Amino acid sequence: MNRRTALKCLGGSIATLAMRPLWAAPRAGDDYFIFIHASGGWDVTLWADPRNERAGLIEPASTDNTDIAPLARWKSVALDADTSTFEILAPSNTQQRFGPAIGDLYDLRDRLTIINGLAMNTVSHPDGTTYSATGRHLAGGRAVATSIDVAIANERGAEQLLPAVAVQFPSAFVGERLDRRAIPLRVGSAATLAKSLSRSDAYFDTDDRAAITAVLTGESTQLAKHSVFPEVYERIASQHGAQPKLIGGELERAFRPKQLQDAYPQFDYKARNLGAGSLAAAFAVEAIRRNVVRCVGFALGGLDTHNQNYKQHAHTLQELFDTIATLVHLLDATPHPTRNGDKLADRTHILVFSDFCRTPQINLAGGRDHYPNNSALVISPRFRGGITFGKTDAEQLLPADAKRFADGVRPISPPDLLATFLHAFDIEPRAYLRDGDVVPELLR
Amino acid sequence: MIVIVAACAGRRIAPSAPEPLPEARERSVDTSPKARPRMIPAEVYLRAYMTWFGGLAPLEVQNRARGKQLFDAWDDYLAALGLPDYRLDLPRQNQTNSLMLATFGRLGEALCVRAAEHDLHKASSDKVVFAFEPPPNPSQQQFAIGFDILHRTFLGYPVDLAPADRVPRFYALYRQIAAHHPRKQPLTADETAWAAVCAALVQHPETELY
Repeated sequence: MNRRTALKCLGGSIATLAMRPLWAAPRAGDDYFIFIHASGGWDVTLWADPRNERAGLIEPASTDNTDIAPLARWKSVALDADTSTFEILAPSNTQQRFGPAIGDLYDLRDRLTIINGLAMNTVSHPDGTTYSATGRHLAGGRAVATSIDVAIANERGAEQLLPAVAVQFPSAFVGERLDRRAIPLRVGSAATLAKSLSRSDAYFDTDDRAAITAVLTGESTQLAKHSVFPEVYERIASQHGAQPKLIGGELERAFRPKQLQDAYPQFDYKARNLGAGSLAAAFAVEAIRRNVVRCVGFALGGLDTHNQNYKQHAHTLQELFDTIATLVHLLDATPHPTRNGDKLADRTHILVFSDFCRTPQINLAGGRDHYPNNSALVISPRFRGGITFGKTDAEQLLPADAKRFADGVRPISPPDLLATFLHAFDIEPRAYLRDGDVVPELLR
Repeated sequence: MIVIVAACAGRRIAPSAPEPLPEARERSVDTSPKARPRMIPAEVYLRAYMTWFGGLAPLEVQNRARGKQLFDAWDDYLAALGLPDYRLDLPRQNQTNSLMLATFGRLGEALCVRAAEHDLHKASSDKVVFAFEPPPNPSQQQFAIGFDILHRTFLGYPVDLAPADRVPRFYALYRQIAAHHPRKQPLTADETAWAAVCAALVQHPETELY
């Protein structure tokens, strides 16, 4: 090697190291992802973007419109002569501000990345949900882009037994170039997983089912050879090939609801509003611990409160954030399945979003309607904790300009957050997103 | 007047000599499929499933399929089968996944075991799936007769039109399962083997795609 070549190599290596943080060394089997859809549209003034004063359109939560009894972090301050509102939680060590519905998640505030003032440009549940998950609005009622969980499963999880599991989560598999193994496994409840995998021992046993599966795999493979579109049959062949690992065995027993509840008693399965979601959270921990998934998405819902049911909105939010806090504590306490000495929390990344937020004013029925603003929450070692990015205006709660993006000064929007999330894991955002800029301020 | 007559006295058009018709050319038609095989809609699957079960209502199927942990309730499987959920604004799934195949498998076992009990074990006169009289320990030729009926039921076309090794492949499955189940309860070896052949056909890719 002559001197010129040696200098070139040295320079190239230094440049590569400078461009690529050490943590970005990709190892497909190391990271896990949990996506949570707070379904129904949440009131951000109760947690991420707290408001406790009347200003412009804003009518804050108060003892008039909110049932404050179950709220652990509600501390009353006077709003007017007859009514109290809440005191904003303002920790001294961060610039973040929280409302009382943040619940137990407040104790983890140093690890929270809050994004406020997300411009939604929609007040439709399906559209807002799809926009948050895919970065594109619906077209003709259909998702036109791949959702974030499928994109990550496609890049980092196709080799897993269950690359993407979606429990009432708005997953979308769109595109011709995706690995078919990343098609999300969508179910209505975490309990369905065990039921679909369970089998009666009365008629057939494991050997019988293996023989049936072998025939079906052979048939699919043979049809693939003769088909103009072999990939469809190849996909089915690989899915049949996975059945012996799935059916009637240890996984099925581990995913039974009773088993999950016994293994993770920390979750509140009888929570008034979100008990079913707790089972999905327990499933996520168990499936990650067993290294059989890459992405788990689930919904924690019940936030659509247009009427007098708004009185319970803060309580529902508190249950949601308590569930997430429990989830994080469990990830802290669970060893990583493939990295000795690491805990799951070191390599598990959580993104929480909702359809949109709710109106700043209380309507005539005593509730809040849909509003084209939103907040989101990330808990990830790759994201800067203890920060809030983005903002809303003081009187209308509408998204305000956050920074200068490539297309000018504007508020942050879901495609920006999704692009940043993909970029954080060394995935090229443009492979999956038409819009959106990476926001380096959010990343470590 | 003379001018008009002269003008109207037109020339006669002489007929041309007859010529043979041009040779008919065969026009090539592109018959190759233009779209991938698609999964049948979940509603079609459910409708077909209930028909195979004897044309029963969903709750009747549910009640009949239950027992011995073969089945639970339709509600448990609707999302896994790909049905949309309008309560949650979730769209339908139009591609199979491994969990969906596992669900097809569970439903398929329930259907075929109950059909074997009804049609073969009890030798009912109104057979719903196994509409033939299977001989015990059949030869491949005898097997092919019953298999053709099942093939038409689940896949919609005669087995003669299928790849040539389909009958031997399923016959091998039959023999393997029958040999594995020498006991007579709850089903005999032949009945269990027919139930397994049925369970494989009801999960066959040609049953689920079109």
